This record gives sequence, C-alpha cells and structure tokens, in this order.
Amino acid sequence: MQLMSTIRSAKTAPALLELSADNWRLAVLVGLVVSALAVVTLPASGSFWVVGAMSALVAAAFAVNAYRRRYYGGLLVAPAIAVLFVMNIFPLLWSLGLSFFAYQSNLQSIRFVGLNNYIKVLTDEVAAPGNWSALINTAMFAVCTVSAQMIVGFLLAMLFAKQFPLRKYLLILVLTPMMLSVVASGVFFTYYYDPTFGILSYVINSVAGGQFIVMDSKAGAVAGIVFADAWMWSPFVMLLVLAGLVSVPKYLYEAAAIDRVSAWRRFWSITFPYIRGLLMLALLFRTIEAFKLADLVIVLTKGGNDTMTISYHLIRIANEQNKTSEGAAISYIILFIVIVLTNLYLYVANPKNREA
Amino acid sequence: MTDRVSFWEWIGFRSVGGIAEAGWGRTLVVAVVSFIYFLPVLFIIFTAIKPQGLALSVPPTLSPTSFFGLIPDQFVFTPTLDNFASVFSRVMTAGGQPESTGFDRFFFNSIVIASASVLLALVIGTLAAYGFSRYPLKGNDTYLFVILTTRMLPAIVVIIPVILMFRAVGLSGSYLGIIMLYAAFNLAFTVWMMKSFFDELSTDVEDAARIDGSSEIKVFFKICLPQVVAGLAATFVFGLILTWNEFLFALLLTGPDTRTVPVAMNQAVSSGGRGTDWTLLAAIETLFLVPVFLATFFLQDHLLRGVTFGTVRK
Amino acid sequence: MSTIEIRDLTKKFGTFVAVKDANLSVAAGETVCLLGPSGCGKTTTLRTIAGLERATAGDVVIAGRRVNHLPPEKRDIAMVFQFYALYPALSVGRNIAMPLHREAIGSAEVAARVRKVADILHLRDILDRLPGQISEGEKQRAAVARAIVRDPKCFLFDEPLSRLDVELRHSMRGQIKAVLSNLTKATVIVTHDQLEALTMADRIAIMRDGLIEQVGSPHEVFAKPANVFVASFIGTPQMNLIDAQFKGYGNGKAKVVFDEQDVDLSVHPAVANLKTGRVTVGIRPRAFSVVSEDTRDTIDAMAELIEPMGAETLIHARTKTGSDIRVVVPRDKRVKIGEALHLVPDPAQTHVFADDGKAVRA
Repeated sequence: MQLMSTIRSAKTAPALLELSADNWRLAVLVGLVVSALAVVTLPASGSFWVVGAMSALVAAAFAVNAYRRRYYGGLLVAPAIAVLFVMNIFPLLWSLGLSFFAYQSNLQSIRFVGLNNYIKVLTDEVAAPGNWSALINTAMFAVCTVSAQMIVGFLLAMLFAKQFPLRKYLLILVLTPMMLSVVASGVFFTYYYDPTFGILSYVINSVAGGQFIVMDSKAGAVAGIVFADAWMWSPFVMLLVLAGLVSVPKYLYEAAAIDRVSAWRRFWSITFPYIRGLLMLALLFRTIEAFKLADLVIVLTKGGNDTMTISYHLIRIANEQNKTSEGAAISYIILFIVIVLTNLYLYVANPKNREA
Repeated sequence: MTDRVSFWEWIGFRSVGGIAEAGWGRTLVVAVVSFIYFLPVLFIIFTAIKPQGLALSVPPTLSPTSFFGLIPDQFVFTPTLDNFASVFSRVMTAGGQPESTGFDRFFFNSIVIASASVLLALVIGTLAAYGFSRYPLKGNDTYLFVILTTRMLPAIVVIIPVILMFRAVGLSGSYLGIIMLYAAFNLAFTVWMMKSFFDELSTDVEDAARIDGSSEIKVFFKICLPQVVAGLAATFVFGLILTWNEFLFALLLTGPDTRTVPVAMNQAVSSGGRGTDWTLLAAIETLFLVPVFLATFFLQDHLLRGVTFGTVRK
Repeated sequence: MSTIEIRDLTKKFGTFVAVKDANLSVAAGETVCLLGPSGCGKTTTLRTIAGLERATAGDVVIAGRRVNHLPPEKRDIAMVFQFYALYPALSVGRNIAMPLHREAIGSAEVAARVRKVADILHLRDILDRLPGQISEGEKQRAAVARAIVRDPKCFLFDEPLSRLDVELRHSMRGQIKAVLSNLTKATVIVTHDQLEALTMADRIAIMRDGLIEQVGSPHEVFAKPANVFVASFIGTPQMNLIDAQFKGYGNGKAKVVFDEQDVDLSVHPAVANLKTGRVTVGIRPRAFSVVSEDTRDTIDAMAELIEPMGAETLIHARTKTGSDIRVVVPRDKRVKIGEALHLVPDPAQTHVFADDGKAVRA
C-alpha cells in the first residue's frame, strides 16, 4: 500500500471542458445529456443503443483516467462495476424512466404520462384491485414463510451447532432441499397434496377417514405453498445461524458453566449477540426472496384460490399482457418497499454500531 | 460408583455445561430429524427408480426394499433404471420409435450457462475484490454496499428492462445474455467473499515481492491467487447452487437452443396434475441434483463462509 | 472447609496422556501454583478440577466431596480464564453480576456486591463499558472481580497474568495476592512464569509431561529441588548442571571429576551412600565465591562473556574443555573477559543428582 502511494505519479486531473481521453467528468456530463435526449426523442430500441454507447464512453474515460494516474484499485474494480451497471443499474434506471411513460412493448408508441402509471396501478378501478390483492398476498406469504423459515432454520442450526459423529453427512441431508429445482419440488408437492393419490391425503384418509383436499381453500393453498417454500429455504437460514453459532468462542460457554449461568440466560447473554446480526441478515435475505415468490405459485396453484403474488402478477402484466410501463411502475413500488424494509432492518440490526 | 448421564447430556445438550463435543446420542436425534426433513427428497429419488405404472398407485408405493420387513409389502416396488434412459430418449407418439428428447442438450446448456456465468463472476469479482482489498478507494464502503445491494434487489425489478434490452440487442435466447445476467447476480457475493479472503492475507510477502521488482500482475498471480484457492472453490460452489436452479430468468430469457433443465423440466411436465409423468420428472430431477449435491458435499466446510458473504470467519 | 484434593488423577485425550497419576491437596486459604513449561498438563489439571474436562481416572475432591460426575456449575467454584472470557455483549458491571444470578438475592443486593468488588479492584469507573472498550489490565481485573464476587468453595486461575505487560503484571501480582489473602479459600493458579509462582504461591507444584515433579513451598523448590528438571526450571539465571563422575566421598566432601578437573565439593552427607559413577552436580550461579588461588576446592574457568544485570553481573565462564558455567557476582566485583576464575561453590547450594536425575538428599 505505502509502496504504491509513493510511486503513484502526481498528474493533475484535466479541467472540466478539456477534451482529453481521461476527462471522465466531461464524459459523464456528455453521457447524461445525450442519454436523456435519446430517451425522450427516440423509440426504446433506438435509445437503448445510444445509452449503451454513452455508458461505454464513460467507462472508457474512467479506465483511461485510472490507468494514467495508476489507480490500480479503480482499474481492478472497473469490470465488476461495468457488468453491474449494464445488467443491474442501467435496467433499473431504464425501468424508472419507463414507469413515467405510456409504453407497451408490442406497440411502438411511447408518450410521457408523468405519475399516471403509479396512480393507475394503485387506484384504477380495473387494474388496482388485482395489484393490491397480489401485494397483500405477497406480504402475507412473506410473513408466514419467513417466520416459518426463521423458526425451523434456527432450530435446525441449534441441532447442528455442536460437533458430533457423522455431522457432515447429516448436514448435507438437510441442505438438499435447497439444491432442488423449484419446478421439481413444487410439482412433487402437488403430488403430496393431491386429494386422490397424494401421500398426505392417503395418510389422513387412513387415520381420520374421508377425502382430504389441501389446496381447495385459500387457507389450504397458502399453507401448502408456505410449507413447500419454508421446507426448501429453511436450510439457508440454518446455514446463516450456524455460521453465527460456531463463531461463539468455546471459552465463553466454559465461563458460563463456571458462573452457573442458566441455559436461558446463557443463550440470551452469550449466544444471541453472536447470531443477532446473522438472524437479521437471514430475515432480510429471505424477506426479499419472499417478494420474488413466483415460481412455486406458478407450479402449485397458478395463482388460483387467491394466491396470486406480486411477482407472478408482474410477470403476467409485463410479459403476457405487454403492459410494460405499468409493470415498471409496479416493480418500482416493490423496490420502494424493499428499500424501506432494508433500512428498517439495518436500523434494528445495529443500533449500537451507529452510536459507537 | 458410576457417573450418571442424564438424557439431555446424552444427546449433547448438557454435556459438561454444554461444552464438550456431543456424542452418538446427538447423532441419533439429529439423524431422525434429518431423515424426516430429507423424506420428500428421498421420495423423489425413489420415484425416479419406480416402474412408470406404479407412480400413481393407491396406496402409494414408497420404497424399493422392505427394509427387513419394516415396510409392509403393499408399499414396496421393484426398482428400475428405465426412467433415467427415457429422460434422454423415449417414445413420444403412440406406436412411434424412441426419439431424442433433447435433454442431453438441456443438461449441456445448464452446465455451460451455470459454469460459465459463475466463472465469469469469479474472474471479474476476484479482480474487484483484490482491488477493494489492496487499493481502497475513496468511499470504499459505499461501493461495497452498492455491490451488495444489487444482490438484495428483487430480481423482478430489473426483469422488464432486461427483457426489453435483450430483445433490442438480440441477446434474447442466446448464451451470452443469460450468462452475463447470471454473472451480474453472482458478482455481489463473489466480491464480498473473495475480499474477505484477500483481507486475511498478510501483505508482507507482497511488499517483499514488490521491493524485489515483481510487477503488480506477477504479485497478484504468483503470490496472492495461490493463497486463496480454497476461497475460489467455495465461491464457485456457492454461485453454482444459486445459478443451477434459477428458473424465472431462464424461463423468460432462454430460447429453444439455450433452454436450461429447470425450464425444460417445467415444459416436460407442464400438463400438470394427472397428466404429469412423475417418474420421468423424478428421474430428471435426480440427475440434475447430482452435480450440485456432490459439489456441496465436497466443499461443505467453506459453505458457512459463503452464506454469510464472508463476514463470519473461521 | 474449602479444600481441593486430586487423587491419582489421569487425563487422556485419545492415546495422549495429558496428566498422569497426579496427586495434590490444597488446604483452605492456601494458594498452590501449578508451574511448568507449556504442554506439561497444568492447564488440563486445572480444567479437570473445574469440571471442564472429565477425569479419565482418579478423583477430584472439592470441600471433602467427590465431584468427578458433577458439571462445573455444580462444583461451586470460581475461575479466571487465560483470555478472561468476559461476555462481550455485556457491560463490565453485568459481567461481574453474572455469577450472582443463580443466588437467591435481590437486585439491590446484586448491585451492592458488584459495587463492592468493583471498589476493591478499581473498576468503579468502567462498570458501564463493554469488554471491547477497556484495556487488557482492566479486563484482567474485571475477570478477577467476576470470580470473587461470589462466595465459592475455591478459586482457579488459568495463566491470569500472561497477557499483561511486565509492569502491569508486577502490580497485578500484588493485587491478586492481596485479594486472595483476605479470602480463606483453596486457590489453584496455573502459570508458566516462575516469578509469578514464587511470589504468589504458598506452595508450588512443578509439572512436566503430565507428571507432578515436586510439590513444595517456594523456598523448598528453590533450595531443595527434587530432581534435575526442577533444579533447571526454578531460578534465574538457570542453575548450572554439570555432568560429572563421582569418585568417592571423604571428609564431608565429594570427589568428582568433570572436564578433566578433579574437584572436592562440600555436599550433603547423604552423597556418601552413592555408588561411584555418573552424577549431575547442580550449583546456583549466585552460589559461587571467586577466590584468588586454584585449589582442589575450586572449579576453574575463563570469563568469556559478561552481561551486566544492574545490581549484579552475570558471567559466562568456560572450562578448559568447553562447559559453560554461569556465575553471578556483585556489581562491584570487576571481571575482565579472558580472566581466569577460581570458583568455590557454597555447600548449601550445591546439589548432587544421581544418575536417575533425583536429588541425593538422605
């Protein structure tokens, strides 16, 4: 590090308007202006190429600048930033722009409508009820499946927290559901749930008598989806919690034994502080994933019995009904919710870190 | 005088204040729980070796052996390997000849797309991680947080523009598009994880090499990289798990030539309900599970690190 | 009564024998140090007493009760760990209060007791801080405070001062000793630092390779080491241990030959019973008086290296055939490099160890 800074040359940065290959500030400025013009004036496919070219220009300016001034850090990081920019950040910005236009991907017309898309998806008599119910369903799924995953994952982690014979082999058994394809496990859950030939109904039938139909009511369908989702993803929570549990130094437990600390107090005073952050991380990851819940619903109910989730709904609107900009507005509403949740989690997760 | 061992101690919850390693008692308890948790998977695997006609039998057939009389005969079936063969080639129309199902291609696609995207993320991400670790930029943490955030974004938010973008550029249905996209989604944890490995290396050796006149490139390849091979392996496996089963993007962005197994699997059974070819689906899934299962098993020790984005160290 | 006793204690980890047939008893109010090089089994012994390890064979008896089968929480002990083992998420005050929760006392009483030990150990000002925010010395005091806040049957210390710097170590040694002397509990301290053991212990148990080599007061282990190992381990600079041939005994003196020198040494009369043959002669560096003439009573060597140690001077002298002899002389005794030294050992500090390494002393 020190070595690097001593040999770093002291070239000064070019002035804002100087025409030079390493003038990244000028490149950014030009890029933004040209992109904005292109988005407003050209059709989507045309503006795409312009914006893409501008991004390349900015990236090139950054690279030249970094190389000339020996910012090796910048050079090393640049490819990653570029990929993220093209695949995540740029689409994100584009869909933000799109959400202010009336645009359908199967038609060529495009027209600025301001906040109308947002107003429409939230309040329109025809469109809004579906959106709202999907959103509420998603929230309900998120609460149910995430809490189930947290509890099951936590309990599994407690089981595996210690070293015991064959632990490695048993752990992989529990991890396997996470490795299954959602399609296969989902379809097999329809089999387990099937009223005629499913295992669940066979067992219940032979114990209690009478046909048992899980997926027939909304509650049953939700329970069925939640059960399958929680079964698949509890191992993920388990891994996170386990990572925290194994990081607790052994001598703290020894000290607790000497100090005659009760199991309850030992958990809350010693163990929990080590896993609190990871529990929060698990909660955050799984909640965000829960907002993506679509594939399992597609396989299990196809949205029937009022189990439509916002993700599935969005795919339908944007991809099947070609209401692209409405979809964009919905996805920004989802993003807004996720950002709010993320910040809420971060705030709860480390209030102490902020003070320190 | 024998030392009394309580039940709780025996299953390892109380052994000397909850400290010592748990013994076989714990193994037994965990084995029962793990087995129950594993049952649905076991059922899929058993279905894969079931004769096709027994798939929907009532009562359901459960096991290829009676486990020494433990399972009543009515639940036992005779195992077969025919289903695995019919994954790749089977009679598609009534009375016709067996024809290729294209699944060899789909498996090939899955392998190419998953490994290429994970490798791409690994190359780009490792460079970036090295950069973040050795040449901290102004606002380093902000960059890192932004990178982490891209993993946290619901993918659904970017799906529309990505579809449009791919259609516009003609990347839709190509290998390159989906590989790039997966690579972007794998980048976040690759950077975080590899950075944690690089942070742990002592920089003394690197500085010594620099003083001896080695170029920066040589320092990276000859000195740093060999020390983080375990990290690279762990990152690869974790990326593989995340990418291998991805369904939604693959459904929307792959074409007939680049279709991955999860998508093809969905189409093979899309009739759903009673029309589903259960034994075939189980056979596909069982085959599809093997690579990622083996990879996970052999690199299990690094998994904890991957799952926490490298924030917990051993 | 607060006593600790271990009888024929053996602890194996797999095939490795960490402690073998150890016997030790600690009386009420007594402080015993387990002293030895790293890996000698002293910490394992302590952990077995605490119940953190289970004895493979033998008994641990605390306050007259065999506790082999009891977990640590039922042994009624207090322990200070090498790494202090303060609970990182709890403030110093709450750390100290932890052992009190099991006792049926009100929160006011808990607070009062915490304040009391905090005063003794000067922790009053940092009770609200987290362990991560205090210095090593404060952590150490907090760990001691947590141990003495309760009224256990005995105290165990595992290398309590090893992480402190020299100066802090010195003052903490005094503080711990002062605290312990006010309590009438059996105390076991594990240490690898002999100065710590010599200053803090009533008795010292010296361990090597899982065996207790000698148990005795600091004076005893220094003045009458039971064998070559104890002799070499206790005392700085290290005792001179010279391989010699024992030729016979007469007039209260042993005739020995080493490095082609015939020397008559005044030694313990029990040496008379020894057969002739190989012995080890141990002489403390401070036990030499330097005389001007070479006689049959002197060991002759040449000063080779001189290390001033402040009040004293350490001289590395070499005999004709090359054995190194360490001699400590007062500062005012000037010795030049290359000077021939004629050394007469003090009989009381001259030890003869038989071929098997045991001291010959009646």
